Amino acid sequence: MAKELIAEPDLGFTKGLLKSGGSDLKKCYQCATCSVACKVSPDNQPYPRKEMIWAQWGLKDRLMNDPDIWLCHQCNDCSTLCPRGANPGDLMKAVRKMHIESTCWPSFLGGLVGEPSMFVVAMGIPVVVVLLLVYFFNGFDFSGPSPVNYGAFINYIPIQVIYTLALVFAVVSLVISLKRYWNSLEANNPIEVQGPRKGFVPSLIEALKEILPHTTFRDCEANNIRYAAHLLTFWGMIGLFVTTAIVAFNIDILHLKPPSQNGPGTVAIKILGNASAVAFILGLVIMTVRRLTVPDQAGSSAYFDWLFLFVILGTGITGLVTELVRWAGSVPGAYFFYMIHLMFVLALLLYLPFLKFAHLGYRTVAIAWGKSVGRNMTLATAAKYVPPAKPVEEAASE
Amino acid sequence: MAQKIGVYIDTGYGIGEALDVEALSQVAVKEYKVAVCRAEPYWSDPEKLAIIRNDIATEELTAVIIAGPSRRVFEKEFRFDGIITERVNLREHVVWCQPPNNEDTQMLAEDYLRMGIVKTQKYDDRAPFSEATEKAILVIGGGVTGLHAALGAANAGYQVYLVEKEAELGGWARKYPKVFTGKPPYDELVASQVGEKIAAVQASDRVKVFTGSQVYEIAGAPGMFDVIIRPNGPWVEEANKKANDWRAEQLARAARFAGEKQEAAAEKEEEVGAWGVGERPEPDYEHTRVAVGAIVVAAGWRPEDASKFEHLGFGKYPDVITSVQMEELAAKGKITRPSDGAAVQSIAFIDCTGKDNEKPNFLYHSYVTSLVALKQAHYLRQSNPDGRAYIFYENMRTPGQYEKYYQTMQDDPGVFLSKGGVLGVSNGGRQLAVEVKDTLLAERLKVSVDLVVLGVGMVPVTQDSAVVNLRYRQGPFLPVNPQGFNDSHFICFPYETQRTGIYTAGCVKQPMDFYQSGTDGLGAALKAIQCAELTAQGKAVHPRAGDQSYPELFITRCTQCKRCTDECPFGMYDEKPDGTPMPNPTRCRRCGICMGSCPERIISFRDHSVDMIGSMIKSIEVPDEYSEKPRVVVFICENDAYPAIDMAGINRMHYSPFVRFVPLRCLGNINLIWIADSLSKGIDGVMLIGCKYGDDYQCHFVKGSELAGVRMSKITETLQRLVLEPERIEVHQLGIDEYAQVPVLIDKFLETLSGFDPNPYKGF
Repeated sequence: MAKELIAEPDLGFTKGLLKSGGSDLKKCYQCATCSVACKVSPDNQPYPRKEMIWAQWGLKDRLMNDPDIWLCHQCNDCSTLCPRGANPGDLMKAVRKMHIESTCWPSFLGGLVGEPSMFVVAMGIPVVVVLLLVYFFNGFDFSGPSPVNYGAFINYIPIQVIYTLALVFAVVSLVISLKRYWNSLEANNPIEVQGPRKGFVPSLIEALKEILPHTTFRDCEANNIRYAAHLLTFWGMIGLFVTTAIVAFNIDILHLKPPSQNGPGTVAIKILGNASAVAFILGLVIMTVRRLTVPDQAGSSAYFDWLFLFVILGTGITGLVTELVRWAGSVPGAYFFYMIHLMFVLALLLYLPFLKFAHLGYRTVAIAWGKSVGRNMTLATAAKYVPPAKPVEEAASE
Repeated sequence: MAQKIGVYIDTGYGIGEALDVEALSQVAVKEYKVAVCRAEPYWSDPEKLAIIRNDIATEELTAVIIAGPSRRVFEKEFRFDGIITERVNLREHVVWCQPPNNEDTQMLAEDYLRMGIVKTQKYDDRAPFSEATEKAILVIGGGVTGLHAALGAANAGYQVYLVEKEAELGGWARKYPKVFTGKPPYDELVASQVGEKIAAVQASDRVKVFTGSQVYEIAGAPGMFDVIIRPNGPWVEEANKKANDWRAEQLARAARFAGEKQEAAAEKEEEVGAWGVGERPEPDYEHTRVAVGAIVVAAGWRPEDASKFEHLGFGKYPDVITSVQMEELAAKGKITRPSDGAAVQSIAFIDCTGKDNEKPNFLYHSYVTSLVALKQAHYLRQSNPDGRAYIFYENMRTPGQYEKYYQTMQDDPGVFLSKGGVLGVSNGGRQLAVEVKDTLLAERLKVSVDLVVLGVGMVPVTQDSAVVNLRYRQGPFLPVNPQGFNDSHFICFPYETQRTGIYTAGCVKQPMDFYQSGTDGLGAALKAIQCAELTAQGKAVHPRAGDQSYPELFITRCTQCKRCTDECPFGMYDEKPDGTPMPNPTRCRRCGICMGSCPERIISFRDHSVDMIGSMIKSIEVPDEYSEKPRVVVFICENDAYPAIDMAGINRMHYSPFVRFVPLRCLGNINLIWIADSLSKGIDGVMLIGCKYGDDYQCHFVKGSELAGVRMSKITETLQRLVLEPERIEVHQLGIDEYAQVPVLIDKFLETLSGFDPNPYKGF
């Protein structure tokens, strides 16, 4: 608990949270069941209880500088156990959305992506760019060349230029946003954690050791399947990224021809790509189905969640469909879905820092910052743990 | 009058197997020559009851003794018209707590039968007191509570006199713009419905309304109250001053004598002016005189004096107001600041007004204060969608379905709730700065607000004046507890006061919301009706409802010691100028405390008297000193200790067979002569088990148990005269649920006694 606080509740912020998925946040009466139930919350100033009252009191400054919102993996143990139905998991998610919106650079894009009424505009940009490309190179002629040769359908060069630019923009934007976030954590230290300070790099390495195998995620109970699904998607995406990078490297630097688009599927790079794609899509489908069928466990889903799922699942599925259609021998079909796939990929790259996708950056930064200040979450949860009694004087002075 | 007694020994419940029933019957037949003695299982069966009825008719019995289960069961079955029924507890007090077919168990059963028969023989033949027959109801206070009480009684067919000191009926309910509904779905505010009640009262031809009037004086007793109602005037202040001065004098004297012994205080009693003694002058002023049977006091509350909240800026800043002032502000429509008339954007409601270094002042705070803060936050939010309402509370109390209202307000994004103690309110420029400690958000929290509303407590108006202005020897007031609320056994008898026939309802009793006040008023009206009806039949009211006995004084032997007038918890005795007590039987609750208080032993009930209990003790057979069979008489309160001992029996807890229980109406019945009777007969020890006393007393009769303790502290003299150890007498308090303590207490006492020689008076 903070020592001193001058409270200037931001009514608009609270209303924003209520609208963004934290609709039950006002129901919390601070019983702290959530913080007790959470398997991954630190023992010192645990979340999400404090976030609940900050949200109720519209304390935007606190929540926007809070590293803990990103330590939460939204396993929903808290929401399923909340006696008041306040759904702390949903609130944490809503705060994260608001956080991305308020921290990202340029911020208008955050507003564009987060606002349901702007869906058409947001999606329209990549659609129009890709349509222009298609029109420019072959005037909407999906019939040839045959057999399928995507490089002949649209030249690789402009695609690489545009997509690399989009990626660079995304990375720069994300880095700027994350730098802002790190600085604000350093400057405000909202939860007043004091511990051994470690440099950014060692902290980041420590954080990655936790993130890559999803060790924290595994501790969540209510939504344990999501751990597996997310792990599949996570490594699937890494596999796809590696595949794409290798192919691009081969073409651009080594000037090797890409493995034939109609040749055998047994080349190592193809196996890696296809296996990654299957893992990627499988994980996403599991998560989507659970969101639809068991919302009480998976948490409620707001526009922000669906948009991200739409873009990322759209990317995966259109990619897979493109390949399947090609195998089925439909040349125009393959080109058509290839075009759709390009739209999704562009949206994914362009909006990375503004979509929920940005969590890959924010969460990493928050975990790294936690490592650097020694915000250890693991107080071994021994069964029936009883904290040691404090000396009377010490207890009284608190 | 000699009773013709039939004894019916129940051999069911294991009694027949555990006792020599033939020998037991011989006690009744040979020793006491009773007219009928039968032993059969289960006398409560209808065909067995027919046998008893037949005996009553053919043998002309006047009394029936059922020796079997506890008197607490089959009470109705064993009630025979015009016949005395006495119960001897062979089940819970004998066979269920003692080994079967044992010499000591048999002796115990025989002693209980002897005591039962002797007691029955001592019954006196006395008609019930039925002179008081007035059934009209007086209701004091015309607010929500009083209106409900008046309408309830009128609808039940009783004449009602309703006295309201203000010019109009309606009380606080008329002054508030909105009230919470108390009805599903509990989430909204509605206009008060009090107007309908006022109209209904005014339309009723059974309710006579006196507005702008107060009760000048109440004399008499239930069924025969003589009430003078007088229009407001300078007399009010004079009368209140006189009563308050009298009370101040009483309190000062109590404080003076607090350190001294009770008898020392009693000796100096003469110095104090007794209230209401002497001639009652004929009224020579404008008044109305009415006769009523029972009274409902619904005089209500006033806000706590806010001047003591200086540390919260009250009186210093015009924008620090009380919750009552907030209602007035809200009644005007848009909420504006008292200082400059600007529209209010934010309000801090402070629900815990205690100073930082002391415990929060909770005395008059309640769930109502919490709900009012929520309601007034609602006012702000309804009138200003951007308004912010902060509520700082020590306890957010929203009992029952009001939780729904709390949830509704909590869901409002403009309502900010936190526990916390308010440190102070200071000038924060254009706004007020409120600093709060130990909040849910921070150790110290500061907010800036336009207005600060202090949730003031609800003080019963009986704090300021007597209201009922009783012309009773014990003063014009209804006795109060240390918190200043009318005192009665709060859990068991919420409506009762210590003045029989006068029932409190609504906020004069405890803080209540309008809805609860209404139902409480109705409840009190039913209580008043019961009182009027029972009194007219010559019966006692709760808790001995239906009891037709009443205390009679053999006044020629009275020494005017005034102990009875002083000790009666219910102010039953008035007094002649010479100090002679004047009993008012309908004020009596039949507890018998006066019977125990009287050193001359001149107070008796027809079925409960000093002689009767003394004879019961004397009927106990005391074996000689060489038999190693000590005897202990245990006087027990029949309200708490008796059921606890029954429970011990039901749980088959065994304890010494040498105890003999003597149930009393209240441990306050205890008369020192019984101790002397016991010890001089060779009883080795005497134990008293009463109910708990103190601030959270459980005594049905408020202070009987405590008085018994006081009397026993004076027994040393008697013991010294008999040359006996003071440890032979013990006084204990036992809660009704503490049955497991019964064997512990008894066996420990027997162990103490085993350290002494047998009582040397055995055989005298």
